[in-house]
Amino acid sequence: MNTESTTGEYMLLFRGPHWDRGLSTDELQQVMDKMMAWFEGLNSRAKVKASQPLGAQGRVVSGANGGLVVDGPFAESKEAVGGYLLLEADSLDEAVTIARSMPALRYGTTVEVRPILAECPIFQRHPELSQLFKERAVEADQSLAEAAA
Amino acid sequence: MNATSTAKSDYLLLFRGNVWDRGLSPAQLQKVVSDWMAWFERLKEEGKCLGGHPLEDEGKVVSGKQGRTIADGPFVESKEAIGGYFYLTVADENEAIEIAKQCPGLEYGAVVEVRPVAEVCSIKERAAQIGQMATAAV
Repeated sequence: MNTESTTGEYMLLFRGPHWDRGLSTDELQQVMDKMMAWFEGLNSRAKVKASQPLGAQGRVVSGANGGLVVDGPFAESKEAVGGYLLLEADSLDEAVTIARSMPALRYGTTVEVRPILAECPIFQRHPELSQLFKERAVEADQSLAEAAA
Repeated sequence: MNATSTAKSDYLLLFRGNVWDRGLSPAQLQKVVSDWMAWFERLKEEGKCLGGHPLEDEGKVVSGKQGRTIADGPFVESKEAIGGYFYLTVADENEAIEIAKQCPGLEYGAVVEVRPVAEVCSIKERAAQIGQMATAAV
């Protein structure tokens, strides 16, 4: 059961950015033409809210106060995220159907399909926290109203 | 137009690890969530964050020819899983990293991936370099 409140938006994460290696120029050209047509098709149906490729370089920040900053291991990884597409869809099924039509899939890329949430899932895991923040928001609204009065 | 303003660069912060809130006391949890929300609001007010969203733990992974393989995501309960993102517009990579370092989840084990947003897909670029790529597509 899923009680999370979603937004009708889905994030497609394209994983494994090196699927083009080993393709001939002809194959590459064909698949890129198909990719463009795929994207334009989605765009003309107003399914695309945003989409961008990501640079292979970057950093990974971790540790208290971000004490550890390392170069990302994403460049050569099959798990690496190479780009994203923020999709407008009626359901997870529709988002998955769109993901399945992505032309580069046959060359080994992977598409992760994730519903976008209206609220942080931490609130779902900790309902008492959600209640507390709601009460706090109501109090803030009241004090604003009092200040305005 | 401000003549002294410099070009801005876009970065995506990917928040990895969706289980770091486990085992925190209610007080810790309340503080980290408050701090995170305040951090997001401040960055938006400063014009440095254009948007951000949490992602649902559930989802699908599509792979194989014609997307034949559809699996439930392995991202549930994973340190590598992407739990959400911020879209930043900042001066340079250093500023993006400095902002990433302010993430309130870091001290509990959250990891922030900082990725420059590319103008052009690297594969498209490669195809263009080979000289075989149609130039019409944008």
